[in-house]
Amino acid sequence: MNSKKFWLWLAVGVLLIFLPFLLKDYPLHLVNISGIWIILALSVGLLQGYVGEISMGHAAFYGIGAYASVLLTMKGGLPFWVSLPLSALVTMGFGFLIGLVSLRLRGPYFAICTLGFGEIIRLIFVNWREVSGGPDGITGIPAPDAIGALAFTSKQANYFLIYGCVLLTIFVMYRLIHSRPGKAFMSVREDMIYAECIGINAMKYKRLAFTVSTFFAGIGGCLYAHYEHFISPYSFTVGQSFDLVTMVIIGGMGTLVGPIIGAILLTLIPELLHAIKDFRMVIYGLMLMLVIIYLPHGLVGIGQWISGRSSKS
Amino acid sequence: MLIQQLANGVVLGSTYALISIGLTILFGILNIINLAHGEIYMLGAFVAYFLVTLWEVNFFVAFLVATVAMGILGVLVERTVFRPLRDKEEINYFIVSVGLLIFLENLALLFWGTEPRSMGLPYASQTVKIGQVIVTVQRLYTVVIAVGIIFGLHFYIKHSRMGKAMRAMEQDREGALTVGVGIDEISSFTFALGSALAGAAGALMGSLFIVNPMMGFTPLLKAFVIVIFGGLGSVLGAIVGGLILGMTEVLGAAYVSSAYQDAFAFIILILVLSFKPTGLFGKR
Repeated sequence: MNSKKFWLWLAVGVLLIFLPFLLKDYPLHLVNISGIWIILALSVGLLQGYVGEISMGHAAFYGIGAYASVLLTMKGGLPFWVSLPLSALVTMGFGFLIGLVSLRLRGPYFAICTLGFGEIIRLIFVNWREVSGGPDGITGIPAPDAIGALAFTSKQANYFLIYGCVLLTIFVMYRLIHSRPGKAFMSVREDMIYAECIGINAMKYKRLAFTVSTFFAGIGGCLYAHYEHFISPYSFTVGQSFDLVTMVIIGGMGTLVGPIIGAILLTLIPELLHAIKDFRMVIYGLMLMLVIIYLPHGLVGIGQWISGRSSKS
Repeated sequence: MLIQQLANGVVLGSTYALISIGLTILFGILNIINLAHGEIYMLGAFVAYFLVTLWEVNFFVAFLVATVAMGILGVLVERTVFRPLRDKEEINYFIVSVGLLIFLENLALLFWGTEPRSMGLPYASQTVKIGQVIVTVQRLYTVVIAVGIIFGLHFYIKHSRMGKAMRAMEQDREGALTVGVGIDEISSFTFALGSALAGAAGALMGSLFIVNPMMGFTPLLKAFVIVIFGGLGSVLGAIVGGLILGMTEVLGAAYVSSAYQDAFAFIILILVLSFKPTGLFGKR
């Protein structure tokens, strides 16, 4: 790493540490929510960008993580720090089972199948009142338990919790992608039959990617539940699943930066431009179409194009 | 009671078949999975709704106008959204159709809000008794129109020049192109046909149930289940699958649980994918 890059990263790091103390309450809340969406978008992006399969039911896994953690802490009496990994594991279990069925399909059929599972799970959230609280949801979800003097009731403390998890997610995904399984993912994405011919068990790696992806979706759900203190089935619908797919595509598929940019952009834009808030979704739909037709590599693609041109000249 | 439920299943199933045929020909002939198909169904219902309620047009005229209008919309969509992606990877078609779905649904929500609307047709409350079965006249019309369209379509695809070109495209794309079948022409025509069928289904369902901007999504998912169940690209599969799903839902709602009526489709999907992934009439 050259010294210029080092200073740049140091500056970003320092900024991230002091950010929560510089921002007011509401902007900080948006930053925190962006953090949760970053985790979720990375989770969808792992599948979409590296294995080439679009999951359109990821909001359901996000929901399973949230409901699982709420049940574990409120009914099971477990501390948050146990329920965070546990709810992610529960989500991963569901992810593994659903992956067994849905990964038999490819491309659009896989996407439709996950969409179907997403709908079934949403219907369960709505109808299984004894456990999920039905359409009214569950209120009064406790904040994460305090560690010593550090209570997780303030937005600042939650910022460090959420962005700690974001860093963990980025770290795990980075390691995964730059290891043997990561190379296998990409070979499956490029040509599944060829990958199998050279001895890669495509199904195994697709399952691995799907399970890891749902694990992080579960983390996102758990964080969301204990940050917002309220969950209901309306937070885990197809709309949210589509948002995630849109974030990954607009940011740029096949990178880690892409989903992060997409998540931040799609969370902040409607807040910054109040005028467009009402037709936010109309614009997302339009953006999605335009990006696919004219910018297949997303915003990251523009960045690469610019840096490519400047390094040439 | 059982026969009555089966009759209700046929009504539901015949409209499901109409939506599914549109979806399956788009796949079979152009290899396009169009997720926005359900939104065209929704728009078809709205066109018929406005004609019937605002201008007090006869329902059959409104139905025809909605069908033709959606056919035209289909051509526009093909030209602007799908054609630019023709030489790229096929998954792009799918993603762009997700964008189109989000765009159309939310545009409709912006204009027309979430309130449920009803066409309030006179035939909706009149009933006729056939044997042991009591159906409303509107439902009877629905089945007759749907079955008529399906038969008409069958003969058209079998005997007309365009129908033959479409089948040639389905069987061997490059072969068809070599002997001079125009891909632009076929793409536009297939979209017109598929979207018109969706619009027709929307107008029919809109006459029986409520009309609102969110009405297109669930039928779309069900149409997918039917298409996968019946075999991808198979028109016969879409008809049989549509009827079976219609029956299953009505019987399931009556005898198992109505809260999970919409989930039966996905349970069928999971079973089909687990035991016979090629579907009933699938080739691959």
